[in-house]
Amino acid sequence: MRMRNTTDWLDERVARRAMFGRLARTTLGVTLLDGLGSSLAAAASGSKTAGMNLIILSMRGAMSHLDTFDPKPGREEQGETKPIQTKTPGVMFGEHLPRLAAQSDRLAVIRSMTTETGDHQQGQYVMRTAYPVLGSIRHPSLGSWALHVQGKASRELPGYVLVGNGNEHPGAGFLDPSVTPVPVADPELGLENTVRPAYLTEKNFNRRLALADKIDADFKRRYAGPQLEAYNQMYKDAVRLLGSVDLEAFDIAKESEQTRERYGSSTFGQGCLLARRLVEAGVRCVEVEYGKWDMHREIFEELPEAAGNLDAGMSALIADLEERGLLASTLVVLATEFGRTPRINENAGRDHHPAVFSCALAGAGVKGGAVFGASDERGHKPDKDAVSVPDFLSTVAAACGLPHDKEFMAPNGRPFKIGGGGKPIKAVLA
Amino acid sequence: MMRPWQIRVGVAFVALAGLAATLGAEGKTRERPKRAVAMMRLPEAVTQPPPRSVMKVVPVDRGTRGEIREAASRIDGLLAGHWLEHGVSPSPPLADEAFVRRAYLELGGRIPTHDEVVAFLDSAAADKRGDLVDALLESPDYVSHFYNYWADILRLQERPDKHLVFEPYLHYVKEAIRTNKPYDAWAREMLTANGRLWENPAVGFQLRDEGMPLPYVDNTVRVFLGTQIGCAQCHDHPFDHWTQREFYELAAFTAGIQTRPGGNGQGKKQKRMPMQGAGELARAARDLQMANRDRSQRNKAAVAQYLRANVTSVAFADKKLLLPHDYQYDDAKPLAAVSPQVLWGEVPETATQADGREQFAAWIVSRDNRQFARTIANRLWKKLMGIGLVEPVDDFKEDNPASFPALLEHLTDEMLRLEFDLREFVRLVVSTEAYQRRAVLHDAMSAAPFRFTGPALTRMTSEQLWDSILTLVARNPWSVERPTTKEVAAVLDLDLRTASLTDVDRGLEAFASRYGKGPAKRRMMEICGYRGLELVRASELPTPLPLGHFLRQFGQSDRETIEGGRTVATVPQILAMFNGPITHAMLERGSVIYDEVTSHAPREAIDVVFLAVLSRRPSAEERALAVQEIMSAEDRATGCGNVIWALLNTREFLFIQ
Repeated sequence: MRMRNTTDWLDERVARRAMFGRLARTTLGVTLLDGLGSSLAAAASGSKTAGMNLIILSMRGAMSHLDTFDPKPGREEQGETKPIQTKTPGVMFGEHLPRLAAQSDRLAVIRSMTTETGDHQQGQYVMRTAYPVLGSIRHPSLGSWALHVQGKASRELPGYVLVGNGNEHPGAGFLDPSVTPVPVADPELGLENTVRPAYLTEKNFNRRLALADKIDADFKRRYAGPQLEAYNQMYKDAVRLLGSVDLEAFDIAKESEQTRERYGSSTFGQGCLLARRLVEAGVRCVEVEYGKWDMHREIFEELPEAAGNLDAGMSALIADLEERGLLASTLVVLATEFGRTPRINENAGRDHHPAVFSCALAGAGVKGGAVFGASDERGHKPDKDAVSVPDFLSTVAAACGLPHDKEFMAPNGRPFKIGGGGKPIKAVLA
Repeated sequence: MMRPWQIRVGVAFVALAGLAATLGAEGKTRERPKRAVAMMRLPEAVTQPPPRSVMKVVPVDRGTRGEIREAASRIDGLLAGHWLEHGVSPSPPLADEAFVRRAYLELGGRIPTHDEVVAFLDSAAADKRGDLVDALLESPDYVSHFYNYWADILRLQERPDKHLVFEPYLHYVKEAIRTNKPYDAWAREMLTANGRLWENPAVGFQLRDEGMPLPYVDNTVRVFLGTQIGCAQCHDHPFDHWTQREFYELAAFTAGIQTRPGGNGQGKKQKRMPMQGAGELARAARDLQMANRDRSQRNKAAVAQYLRANVTSVAFADKKLLLPHDYQYDDAKPLAAVSPQVLWGEVPETATQADGREQFAAWIVSRDNRQFARTIANRLWKKLMGIGLVEPVDDFKEDNPASFPALLEHLTDEMLRLEFDLREFVRLVVSTEAYQRRAVLHDAMSAAPFRFTGPALTRMTSEQLWDSILTLVARNPWSVERPTTKEVAAVLDLDLRTASLTDVDRGLEAFASRYGKGPAKRRMMEICGYRGLELVRASELPTPLPLGHFLRQFGQSDRETIEGGRTVATVPQILAMFNGPITHAMLERGSVIYDEVTSHAPREAIDVVFLAVLSRRPSAEERALAVQEIMSAEDRATGCGNVIWALLNTREFLFIQ
């Protein structure tokens, strides 16, 4: 059943106009408002607009490039991971990625990624926002930008879901809290607490909300500002969501046993499946985290599981999206904060290595079968066509039709670009 | 003896929690009742009064109160000048109602109970705020709350690795807070400890980054000196002060930390046998492992971890540190040995003859190393005022100056004067007028520095929120406490040199049945479980908690990154407040608020509810709203429940003003 509220969680458009005014007061640029305008239009029409969907697979902890997408056959640095031939002539992957190797004609692999920092938190932040961590501002993540510019595709479902841990995520940054990702801790459980206790009627629920609102009015007035505004927004979103018939999109148990197995039994694999369901139901952007990559010790014992789960989840996701006709409008991004040392350390592990690493793209706007850039023979530094994180994220932005050239004004009056002003890699764009 | 109306309210209250049918039965909005929820009961252990003494905390010296007051007014004097200089005026003083809430939350980690609020408001004592602060600082609540605070900084986990059984170290941190161990002594103890975890639990600090000597130095400097040198681990950072060479020179002090029998990383790449190395213990462990080689994979893995836990021990022997093989700067060759060198100042004379690790520790905690005192002073200032004088608190550097340097230096002097008595420092800050002012807004993204015209408005931490809701539910939030070092040692300690495989099996069984993840959880659930949640203080819960737990939803750290806790808003938080089990636990019979409401006359119920949830009495308008709600609800209990739920879902509840 759909919930209608008696309170002043009013008409979305009115609320958004109010927000519009607030932002207009705090920003000097009008570009920010353009974005909001279009998002308003999209949300109001409720249609699945022409905007692209974005699925980001975040390999947290730093994925070893030598053991996955950039093996160095015959080198001592390669360690115990054997290179295997992919479908693309002359291109090899690590042995734990056989399914992705068979799909290499769908992938654009970038082997010359390079970044400045070897700190996980900072590296992840840069990979999500294209900007370094600064004390004075929080930058929006790419998914929030996408939502901000292209608008939601579903009125009731969130526009942006994060399968994983929200703590380290920059989220909406300086954009409106309405483009904050909704974290889902466990894909098996989906979105929890969406069912009212049996004794609580809809009428009583609404009474409670109305009462809370009245009692809170003074406090909200006194402390009106971004902190409270974020919570006010989350309450609105939560109420809207509770009334949604589309909540089923969060329930992967609705998938056949066969489909579920295809993605692998890991949390990451099931997260990929959830991502597909959500995108299908009209969620614009989904990020799936996988945090098993910080292999300082015994890396060759850890790799089969981590890389195997990546292989199963990502390959199934690409194939499934394609079979459903969604791959043409969905960009799948495989990202990680940096690489791991070619040299194997005394604990049989690999340490942090920002100098060079690999990322990959598939789907909308991307040329399959491409390999861009290369690391040197040891996998130590970029050998040619070094790609910075802003270059990479600008490529992602370009592939999903986001205006990476346009300047947006943050509330502090400083200009920002989606993708941080990097140069999109033409060679991997379709 | 219960009067009839009390019984009526009580019965109806139960209906609120359990019986859908009576509530949905009228009017057009009627819904088909969903399956009747079986009445859940709160576990008995949490509805009983708490044990007389949960833990004995060293008492606060009442005799120093005058001294503290004077010291506080010096801070206020500095701030008054600061405000004048910047043309800002202070926030209004905090009323008693808001003060009692703030004090309980910030010193005890939870909201006060109805009775505690009333006792404070009704007190006619001359210095009732001082009395309250002192009482809180020597309460178990203080220990629990500051344990959570340190757990976030120190990344406290029960198993940072499969073989690292950290319960003794976690208990040790709690003990350091309970006994108010001077901070410099505490830090030094952790930085130089030797032995196994249950012999000398302070070794946990060094073991937290076991096998990762460079990140260990990076983390240690971040925690104790508020400085980020980690970027220099890989290369000279273009915008940063520190060079890779300086990083290695500092790391050279502690390169000789050994955690494995026979030493770490001697010679060639080590194979996967967990018990490498020479030495009697390692040999004994290897023999036992060999004897066990025909068992199942699962058993072999468990035995290996158990043996490894027994041989993991911190020791120190000076060892040369080499520059990386790809060192790219002109001042040294790759793989050249570096000699230890501190980042600034010098190693205190008293330690120059000691080993590298002792020198490193002595330098860090030295009174001459003001950055050590400055870092903790800034951290605690932030803890209480919401924002640090330097932000982020672990990123001191030239181009990130303090917003009010004179105050930071004064606080550093105070920290030194108090000889690193952290609790006394906390007492000092909360005694300032600045602290006892209404919270003020601060936009983290605004360029204007925060002027501390009052504490910054902050959202409760996840632990404060959990412990506050628990305050409304459980009379006894201490039904389970963290195991002590002794308890863990009893089932873990084994002399491998004389042990047989049977002894190992027996030890493993005893250990696993008590501290294995599954059994430990089951045991807790038996004592204090309610719909999948353990109703105990956040400090006593397993760590890290699973991602979907209420505490994690509200931003509790995964305890992987230093100060990883967050207070950012998300939708699942709201859904948990709406429909999650913890919210509804308070509406069960036997909950604290249930008993408080039912033990007062109906006309007092509204005041009781406001005092219990928001720590204040309702305004006339609010009282009218609440009366109207209760009168127009299906029945009085439903109305009362609606009021409680509504108060819990206000921003006023969630934020500390």
